Amino acid sequence: MDRAVHLDGITKRFADVVANDDVTLEVEQGSVHALLGENGAGKTTLMNVLYGLYEPTDGRVVVDGAERTFGSPADAIEAGIGMIHQHFMLVDPMTVTENITLGNEPRKWGGLAVDRRTARQEVRALSDRYGFAVDPEATLTSVSVGVQQRVEILKALYRGADTLILDEPTAVLTPQEVDELFTVFEELTDAGKTIIFITHKLGEAMRAADEITVLRDGEGVATVAASETTRESLAELMVGREVLIETADRPHEPGAETLRVEGISVTDDRGVTAVDDVSFSVREGEIFGIAGVDGNGQSELVEAITGLREPTAGRIDFEGEDVATWSRRDRIDAGMAYVPEDRQERGVVMSFDLVESGILGSHHDEQFTANGRIDWETAREHASEIVETYDVRPPDTDTKSAALSGGNQQKFIVGREFERDPSLFVAAHPTRGVDIGSTEFIHERLLDLRDDGDGVLLVSSKLDEVQLLADRLAVMHDGELMAVVDPDDVTEEELGLVMTGEEPPRRLDSQRVDGGGS
Amino acid sequence: MGERLAAVRQRVAPSGRAQTAALIGGVAALALVIVGGTLFPETILGVLLSTLVREPTAESALRLAVPITLAALGGIFAEKSGVINIGLEGLLIISAFVAVWMTDVTGNLLVGFAFGVVASTLLTLLFAVVCIEFRADQIIAGLAIWLIALGLAPFMSQVIYGGPNTESVGTVPTLTKLFGFLPPAGTLPQRLVAPTIGVGPIDALSGVLASVLTRPPLYLADVLLDASLSVYLMGLMVLLSWLVLYRTRFGRWVRASGENPKALDTAGVSVSRVRYQAVLLSGVLAGMGGSALALSIGQFTGNGPTMVNGKGFIAIVTYLFGNYNPVGAFLSSLLFAGLDAMQVGLQTAGTGIPSSLVRVIPFVMVIIVLALVGRTRIPGAAGEHYESGEDR
Repeated sequence: MDRAVHLDGITKRFADVVANDDVTLEVEQGSVHALLGENGAGKTTLMNVLYGLYEPTDGRVVVDGAERTFGSPADAIEAGIGMIHQHFMLVDPMTVTENITLGNEPRKWGGLAVDRRTARQEVRALSDRYGFAVDPEATLTSVSVGVQQRVEILKALYRGADTLILDEPTAVLTPQEVDELFTVFEELTDAGKTIIFITHKLGEAMRAADEITVLRDGEGVATVAASETTRESLAELMVGREVLIETADRPHEPGAETLRVEGISVTDDRGVTAVDDVSFSVREGEIFGIAGVDGNGQSELVEAITGLREPTAGRIDFEGEDVATWSRRDRIDAGMAYVPEDRQERGVVMSFDLVESGILGSHHDEQFTANGRIDWETAREHASEIVETYDVRPPDTDTKSAALSGGNQQKFIVGREFERDPSLFVAAHPTRGVDIGSTEFIHERLLDLRDDGDGVLLVSSKLDEVQLLADRLAVMHDGELMAVVDPDDVTEEELGLVMTGEEPPRRLDSQRVDGGGS
Repeated sequence: MGERLAAVRQRVAPSGRAQTAALIGGVAALALVIVGGTLFPETILGVLLSTLVREPTAESALRLAVPITLAALGGIFAEKSGVINIGLEGLLIISAFVAVWMTDVTGNLLVGFAFGVVASTLLTLLFAVVCIEFRADQIIAGLAIWLIALGLAPFMSQVIYGGPNTESVGTVPTLTKLFGFLPPAGTLPQRLVAPTIGVGPIDALSGVLASVLTRPPLYLADVLLDASLSVYLMGLMVLLSWLVLYRTRFGRWVRASGENPKALDTAGVSVSRVRYQAVLLSGVLAGMGGSALALSIGQFTGNGPTMVNGKGFIAIVTYLFGNYNPVGAFLSSLLFAGLDAMQVGLQTAGTGIPSSLVRVIPFVMVIIVLALVGRTRIPGAAGEHYESGEDR
């Protein structure tokens, strides 16, 4: 068989962190190869080595049978490697053609000027050859994300790439665009191109790839044929142990109401009513789930409860007091912890290290102050405690938040909020963009909290997540709570319909759930 | 830094409706001046009109536009590549002094001019190294460049000439002087004066119409024949800058480097090399502006803000107003220079308005214009340092 790419024993070290440890990857020419692993497993690092962005500390890079040393992406491009990054490397104000030909512009007049007509024709021809419907004249900002991705692929092909690396290509796409992308994969492999794509989603790897290489903690665990493996065994390879895809339903005994929201209305940034007269309550020892399609007022509701946005009407009773006008700080002190939906915007300060990030929101807490200043010693201990307990990697409190992968940032934030010892835990999309292992871990912690008799308000757009965890479940649509139901009593299909605004099949009054405790 | 600047600039930007209103207002005001000034030449409108259409006003507007336009072109290249060069003022100052000094030493205008450009380029090299190599804050480094030149040029003048002002040297010739076969300036059209017909509104209007149709081409030719060579250099540079930015690969790389340097880097082009080239180019262009400024007068005056007197900062305004387009920057430079020339004209015309108030007109206009700039789109990565292969 012909190997398009052979990475032999690649090791990449950053200071004292080993990102890749003796990884070997063999990719057959004309095939689709998935590089599967959790966040921070070293997938992107490995591909950056192949693309010449990083020089490997050790190991060989063999492309088309010849050993290569890439000093820069230019060398890799030369060798027929193209990379499509997760965040597109495109210039917004420029046209599709300008983007595709950037750095390789055809020239005329003895090299003085760019030959724009030839560039356009070449781009059109290339686009047509692979059946991409891309308008060479369109400016980048006017086309959809899916098309932008195709522009990235064309850019690599224009440079003569035979092997295409795609870093988490589906992360930004709608389900329909994902289908189209996988069709594009087929077109490309039919034309003899080789595709390597990075993903942490099992299903996608199984669906689109011929072969799958699993990476864990910077090491290559196994390479398997997609047709000869199962989701379960892949998940086990990724995480390193058996994964409970279903969490056992643990009995719970709800107590008194800890949070009661009464007729609350909230407007969004544009002044439009986003939450309209919503009432519900969260009790001690219970997880109250709110499901719904994003943008139906969940964000505004959560912000009103946690004190980031002032409601226009209604009461928010927390532990028996109306806190609707309380400041965020007062609510933290009263025992309300919060995992925000946008972790990089609101969860951590990207340029802070973990010691500083760890005391965000509790910097005024007595345990972290000494003589009117911050007691950095205690803060450091606090941060290392979080890092250790919540398995944040790399386990170094001097790391900047920005240097952590998304999943590890989330684990750190969740850890910090848990450490407040809250009586109410508000979690907005706590596992968004988080890999299987960390998701399972966060779920476990939420259940622990409930078992300890604290209240949890869980907002998520993942149906399986809320159905799995919540004791009572509400669906939010267009600013209103459609129904409060027992999650064990409804099917996913029924919930899906309610999320689109249909009347629920069986509306559960809270009485029944109160008594039963499911 | 860039983000902060961009935020400030964006906050300043109003809606498109305000701009349309401003445009209509401007056109209406101009129409009022033309019609009113024609019908009632004795009023202030008449004075305004005659000041506007006087040839010296047009000539000095063009002359004043040269350093502003050239510095603005330089600023465009630097900022389009992602490096905000706020030190243009300093580059104008240093090149103005060196150009005069070297012309004095060598006795050759061309050599002096070239030395001015070299001086400015060297100072820019310092700026580039500090910003690109050592990741200094671009705004602070730019201010440093200005302050260095502001101190250095008068100091050198003091040492060499014993005062802040240099000796007088020759000035850049006009086209007519250089090529004897061209008709001397002023012989083409009759000097255009404000129409003095007082017979009736209809006659006056038809007179205006006639002159509007026939005079401008002649008027323009006359002004251009009488213009200094620097004006032609400016025109050439505007054209070349536009061609380079929008028709060459270097230009594309410059734009990509300022918008999304990573895209350029991953396309296999060195971002820091492109930025060095673009910033140095800004030094060359600003140097031409400073040399042209000093050699149009034949002397460097170093008192206070020196003879450059804020032109480098006005240049920044003009390229923002021109939305980083060389032609746009040229036209807005022309607008500001025109206002400045008109202001000078008005002072001598004796309108009864205190001259210190008249002198403020261009600056008031700068503020109004800046407040109305809405379509300016600052390059995405302007002001941000870029390091290849970092952050992941």
